[in-house]
Amino acid sequence: MGEVNHKKEKPLQVNPFKLSQPMGATLAFLGVDKCMPLMHGGQGCTSFTKVFFTRHFCEPIAIQTSAVTDAIAVLDGGDYSIVESVKNITKKVTPSLIGLHTTGLPETKGDDVRGVASQIAFPMVTVNTPDYEGGFESGWAKTCKALIEQLVETSEVVDDNTLVLLPHVSLQPIEVEKIKEFIEGFGFNVLAVPDLSSSLDGHLGEKQAALSSGGISVDEIRSLGEAGLVISVGDSMQGCAAALQNKSPEMRHHHFVHLNGLVATDRLVEVLLEETGLTRPPISVARWRQRLQDAMLDSHFSLGQNRFLVAAEPDHLAAICQSLHEAGGRVAIAISTVDSSQLEKIKADKVIVGDLEDAELAAAEYDVIVGNFHCEALAHRLHKGLVLRGFPNWEQVGNALKNDVLYEGGCYLLFEAANTASSRNEVKHV
Amino acid sequence: MASKPKIKELLDESACEHNKKKKVACNAPTPGAATGGCAFEGAQISLFPYADAAHLVHGPMTCLGTSWETRATGTSWPGRDLTQMGFTTDVSLNDVVFSGEEKLVKAIDYIMEHYAPEAVFVYATCVTALIGDDIDLICKQAAEKFDIPIVPVHAAGFVGSKNLGSRLGGEAALTHLVGTKEPDQSTPFDINLIGEYNVTGDMWQYSPLLDELGIRVLSTLSGDGRISDIRSAHRAKLNVIVCAKSLVSLTRKMEERYGIPSISLSFYGKRDTSKGLLAIAEALGDDDLIKRTQALVAREESQLEEDLAPYKTFFNGKKAVLNTGGNKTWSIAAALQDLGFEVVATAVKKATEDDRGKARQTLGEKGVLMMNPGVEQAKLIDETGADLLLAGGRSLYTAIKKGIAFADVNQEKKKSYGGYGGLLNLAEDLKNALQNPVFKNVARRAPWEK
Repeated sequence: MGEVNHKKEKPLQVNPFKLSQPMGATLAFLGVDKCMPLMHGGQGCTSFTKVFFTRHFCEPIAIQTSAVTDAIAVLDGGDYSIVESVKNITKKVTPSLIGLHTTGLPETKGDDVRGVASQIAFPMVTVNTPDYEGGFESGWAKTCKALIEQLVETSEVVDDNTLVLLPHVSLQPIEVEKIKEFIEGFGFNVLAVPDLSSSLDGHLGEKQAALSSGGISVDEIRSLGEAGLVISVGDSMQGCAAALQNKSPEMRHHHFVHLNGLVATDRLVEVLLEETGLTRPPISVARWRQRLQDAMLDSHFSLGQNRFLVAAEPDHLAAICQSLHEAGGRVAIAISTVDSSQLEKIKADKVIVGDLEDAELAAAEYDVIVGNFHCEALAHRLHKGLVLRGFPNWEQVGNALKNDVLYEGGCYLLFEAANTASSRNEVKHV
Repeated sequence: MASKPKIKELLDESACEHNKKKKVACNAPTPGAATGGCAFEGAQISLFPYADAAHLVHGPMTCLGTSWETRATGTSWPGRDLTQMGFTTDVSLNDVVFSGEEKLVKAIDYIMEHYAPEAVFVYATCVTALIGDDIDLICKQAAEKFDIPIVPVHAAGFVGSKNLGSRLGGEAALTHLVGTKEPDQSTPFDINLIGEYNVTGDMWQYSPLLDELGIRVLSTLSGDGRISDIRSAHRAKLNVIVCAKSLVSLTRKMEERYGIPSISLSFYGKRDTSKGLLAIAEALGDDDLIKRTQALVAREESQLEEDLAPYKTFFNGKKAVLNTGGNKTWSIAAALQDLGFEVVATAVKKATEDDRGKARQTLGEKGVLMMNPGVEQAKLIDETGADLLLAGGRSLYTAIKKGIAFADVNQEKKKSYGGYGGLLNLAEDLKNALQNPVFKNVARRAPWEK
């Protein structure tokens, strides 16, 4: 497509929308039922992350910290703080799993968390997620991979009716649920890992959020090797699919760059028809496809007249840009948080790795912004339209139920984008 | 490394009332059972409100990525509000291996070139402190190069709690800013507001009253603050600590160095606001000022009483259970009493001994101080017939189950509850909560569960 710049040129981030690896790891562990994410680092990383997700989801968030202090940082290789943490967590609650993930601090001094965890008689999954590498998307993907590598039992035989879904980090809980239901409509049992659709979907329960309340169970993860099919959504998740196939060589894999818009959903339907031998999808799928066709036509006029700036994690960026592009929305600039194989595929005039200062400097090139909460001040200052997407969204409620995927969600995204764009273009009486 | 404060000295604060006993709040956090923020967060809280300074976080992405634009600290600074901007070096593996110093130097240059702030605060974080980046030297050289204060803040997350970090933020201001500039003019009634961060404009609830009395806010640390003002803070006649025990070290040192006495007060609720204003007037020691303050307080209170009357009628006889921590255990309780509520219980699990004493004083002999609120609050709601639960989001279900109104005390405030005017905001919000049918509606049983 357009021009692609993979490298950030500034010595700093100004108004960053990039998020860190440990945060992605925390979120992934929250997609496992009765899990306690344990962040190994200073207590602030955990406290900040907890508040961050609490405000985004409007839900209490389960997470603990190994609370590394300066003296411990120097003297301890993680043995003391991790062992103590597990002891103190299990004193109060009984998680099905403790999800131990690191931060920059213990990684800088080289703690062997895997080694420490192997000495502890409690179900644990460990993952190295220093925040000076990668980002939100890779933290989630690495954790998913760790769950697979450390929990899934090898399997020689597979069940063709069972399908594993590997969603990328930016899919909101309802989107995961919608993809699961869509595939279930073709007769599959679908297991998503991680699965936020039942843990952070915002449901009222008798919970104190001492542990994650919903998600895929540890036993279900163990048995994932028996599935006949795996579908990865987002380039960040390809490694997870490969890890699963290592456990179960008979498992077939289909990769989707994303599942947004008409073209990608069509391909999913093609794959599912082929895999099942069916000739037609469920009636509701056909109906939603017609609605999306109509939505594309209804929104194309407004979308075609406006230029967009989209700021998101790479997999999410590719998804949104594709949806807008299909209905004529021109993405003038797509800003990614980090480098990714997605960047070359993104439908935009210009694709860069950057921050919201870059967005501000390019103000003349677009009319509507699609991005997270931090874009709000920007949109306000520059008088741009704003469609709030991605983490965090502290401005609005209902984030967990925002659906942009497949035929159905595609309609909602296009309508919102078109309405936002056209509300800017109203004729002003002078 | 002379500018690095000595943590041990800061923890052993002689001005702390509880210093004679074991310092519970100052102990190391328990792995796997810790709550609350780190020292970096504390430093950020105490210094970020300077909107005319750039705040550069030298660390990996978690530190700033989670935390910028999270606090609604209002400013009247006419330039670009740098508080609501995020600057971070976002250190990479390469920086961890080969040092992040070069990147930091370039980052400061970049900020100076593009944003021309009045000062730059450079925050060390766990990773950059551990790899030993010499931010003192870099800041010193940059300060010489640009001829503005470039202030190193040594509050890496792992040195301790949020509270300690606020102290370290204060230390940085004291070492590098206070006393570096003379004020344009002085008045006999110059004060510094210490620990007032103007969250949701709390300070603006009472600062017009100070203006009216002729009390000049010479500087603040740091709500609606200006770098040039805090540099002249050493000429104030009085330090006023607003709801912030973490900054007593700072004010003690300012007393030792510059002879500025200090008082500690709060502007939450009617009684505290009145007491606070009078305390400032008395500390400034001018009879006429005291008289004028008494008159102003009387006027404001009677105006407030008039405005509150319809609310008080509504709240009369209503009982509230409060589940929060720190100074809120008693300050919110007092505000509720001012509105006409009976506060039947308050949680003191996460309160210092000092706060527990004040909570007892506020609630009286009959009030229950809950040591284990998670278990006790449901029982107390039943026993007392409470109408309202004020607590964190985790307790929402308790209120739903009991079918009583709920107000989230930890929710990010969008409007101020401070001063006299804030009490009206609080009253309006609580009235709305009590009148809202949502809690009873949500508590309905599902048709298939009947």
